[in-house]
Amino acid sequence: MTEPVTGAVADAIVEAAPDPDEARRAIEYCYQHGWSDGLPLVPASKPLVDEFLATTSREPDEIIGSLEQVGRDCTVYLAAVNAAMAGCKPEYFPVVLAAFDALMRERAARGGGFQSTSGPAPLIVVNGPVRHELEFNTAGGAFGDGFRPNATIPRAIGLIVRNAFGIRQHVLGQATQGVPGRWSICIAENEEESPWEPLAANAGQPGGVSAVSATLTRTCEFIDNRATAVTEEVLRDFADTIGRLGPQIFPQTPVALVLCPEHAQQFAGAGWSKADVQNWLIEHSGRTAGEMRRAGKGHVLRFGASADAEPVDDEHFHRVLSQPRQIPVIVAGAKNAGISMVARIFGEWSGIATPVGEKP
Amino acid sequence: MPNAILDPTGATKTAAKPAAARAPRPASLKGARVGLLINTKQNAAPFLHEVGRLLVENYGVASVTHRTKLNFAVPESDEVIKELAADADVVVTGVGDCGSCSAAAAADGVVCEAAGLPTAVIVTESFRATTEAMAELRGAPGFPYATTAHPVAVLSEDQVKERAAGVMDAVVALLTREIAEGTEKKA
Repeated sequence: MTEPVTGAVADAIVEAAPDPDEARRAIEYCYQHGWSDGLPLVPASKPLVDEFLATTSREPDEIIGSLEQVGRDCTVYLAAVNAAMAGCKPEYFPVVLAAFDALMRERAARGGGFQSTSGPAPLIVVNGPVRHELEFNTAGGAFGDGFRPNATIPRAIGLIVRNAFGIRQHVLGQATQGVPGRWSICIAENEEESPWEPLAANAGQPGGVSAVSATLTRTCEFIDNRATAVTEEVLRDFADTIGRLGPQIFPQTPVALVLCPEHAQQFAGAGWSKADVQNWLIEHSGRTAGEMRRAGKGHVLRFGASADAEPVDDEHFHRVLSQPRQIPVIVAGAKNAGISMVARIFGEWSGIATPVGEKP
Repeated sequence: MPNAILDPTGATKTAAKPAAARAPRPASLKGARVGLLINTKQNAAPFLHEVGRLLVENYGVASVTHRTKLNFAVPESDEVIKELAADADVVVTGVGDCGSCSAAAAADGVVCEAAGLPTAVIVTESFRATTEAMAELRGAPGFPYATTAHPVAVLSEDQVKERAAGVMDAVVALLTREIAEGTEKKA
């Protein structure tokens, strides 16, 4: 047993350790005001928020996003307060602003997505040097916990939607079930182990700059395939998940492909580019009209068709994708297994990344 | 003096909305022109067309026209509302059966009322809270509306007609009489 610490050392510890009862009162104050997403918030003070505002040249009262249908705006200041409450460090704030900007480019995000019964989640992808400068997790557990920027930046977006836009569950938020971990997906691409250009380069930000891409997703579905070296076999496994019936409510069903380094390197090693992978999956992902009809999805085939058009045969293969922008490819996670993820995009991805630290 | 905990909502800066105007009601629908604002959700069109048909058949309505929403998820554009108003004396809109479209239906209803058109908003029972919240945001707390059971999208043609018949009393009451605030007409 160690001796109790006394004297000057103890005084220093007491001085260093904040008052937990005061912290508790502050946390409960935030709950009482309905600001929390359910987990404790960091109570935001003016000195703390000033540190956030000091990281950007943008004016605090600049409006950075609006939801016209509810008559609410988000300013740089409100984003800073919510980012502070989410547990972000001040230096994360330029990434929060870029992520929010990228997300608000999405038609679905502006047009009622946050109110939707789908309860979609932002899928945020960070590229460039900022990943290491801010100590993002770029390796194993890409969708998971344990890393402050990956965890708090999407939470900040969720708090902005809740507090600045006023979208709360059971009132203006009508998610039937919602996406598990709705405000927790922020992937820092594993550029070091990716054989291809980063996502930002596909989204108008080449040259290795720090940039953020974002869209809304309805779920993530894993593909575990680590027993074949034949590219087409692995891709057929992907195509099965991409083309499955469950998500089909419109003729096109975009997805983001979050490839593990093992799959990406396997494909690239066999000479496949990102575009090759995308094009193969566009060609092979879907279901036959007969399969769709037997699952009560026959009406999807009629969208966009003229009223007097002949119905297609049961053998007709309905493709759920038609262009590469509907299937962005990201490389993330550890190079330790052939486990990749298909993230189902809600609506359409804009295909445009926002550089970090610049006005859009 | 300790630092204050900052408010993340910005609500203190939001000015209270002036109360939205409500259109005066006709005593009856005899000779009235009805405009349907169809939100494109599955079965919304046959539902509203059946409401229109019954209004002609049983309530002496002179004509029924319709417009289709450009995007069910958001309040309709001024242009479409103007087009609707040009050919209509009263409006029926719906069927709000999702998070964004039920809220949008309430917003459309408030706009139509302010444009002088008595409006019957129809949503499914699952979306009362969001319909009421949106109406309040638009300066119309207690905005009256009609409900039908959820879901609507899966109903057969005959079932849709049955449901439409079921909301007729509520729709006619919403369009023809002054209704005390907060009174919801249930189908």
